[in-house]
Amino acid sequence: MTSSAAEYTELERVRRRVFLALFIALAVALHTFEALLPNPLPWFRLGLANILGLTALFIYGVRELWIVSIARILVGSLILGNLFSPGFLLSLSGGLLATLLMATSYRLWQAKIGPVGVSVLGALGHAGGQLLIAWLLIIRHPSVWLMLPFFLLFSLISGIVNGLAADLLRESLLNHPAFARLRKLAG
Amino acid sequence: MKRIWLQRLTAFDRKLVLLLSALVFLSFLVPLRQEAGARLLVESGDKTLFVASLDQPQLVELSGPLGLTRFEIKDGAVRVLSSPCPNKICIGLGAARHSGDLLACVPNRLVFRIAGKSAEGQGYDLLSR
Repeated sequence: MTSSAAEYTELERVRRRVFLALFIALAVALHTFEALLPNPLPWFRLGLANILGLTALFIYGVRELWIVSIARILVGSLILGNLFSPGFLLSLSGGLLATLLMATSYRLWQAKIGPVGVSVLGALGHAGGQLLIAWLLIIRHPSVWLMLPFFLLFSLISGIVNGLAADLLRESLLNHPAFARLRKLAG
Repeated sequence: MKRIWLQRLTAFDRKLVLLLSALVFLSFLVPLRQEAGARLLVESGDKTLFVASLDQPQLVELSGPLGLTRFEIKDGAVRVLSSPCPNKICIGLGAARHSGDLLACVPNRLVFRIAGKSAEGQGYDLLSR
């Protein structure tokens, strides 16, 4: 190829933007798909959409994690038609706390922590944040906390599974030619 | 590039997952004890028909639109003994003893609510869209 260095970084920038948009689109699709699944118990969600946030975090960085998470919640809720409803508030508070925990843990232990660790922290944060807001705003009743252990156990398992999925996705993406430069950076 | 799933966790991840699993396990053991109820309130619509302490055993009859509902207060708990409603769900609900517990006979428009020592139970307890 005969392209100059300036064109090369421009290409990288566009590539990153396109992939970020793809990540958000996929996350929204998973978010919507999950809402279509029958759920016997309220609030027991798999959190599949977080796989894309995790992948964005490990491929690009903390800023991209925030972009994917917030855009996913807003667009996903818009599609489901529950934007600004109480259910949306729960989803938003859970998502924000989860993203905060994931971003902080990634910043603190960047060299040591892997997708599974970050994912588990995020899943537990999501559960905790949701229940906290549910308790504060919607059902001010101590029995809400009786659900917490079951809720946390479910989050722990789904967090591990999502983390593994994110790691697989990251691996296969980094093997793709479009990510060759990032692969070199990742070593 | 096939790796078994455990190898996808870094050493730090494994420690973190173990620690968090232990915490989740512990959260099952913490008994989130429920406050024992102190008072019984029986409501019909927005009127409170009957208030009593759960300490004194007694048998009470209250009338609703369908007829008389008989309930007893015994050992700090309330149970409905007989009711003119068709399904007898209120009897099937058994005893209510914790603060915040509810028994209801919907056809006879009676709601039995247990309140704690604190002022809890006065405000709204459920708000949905």
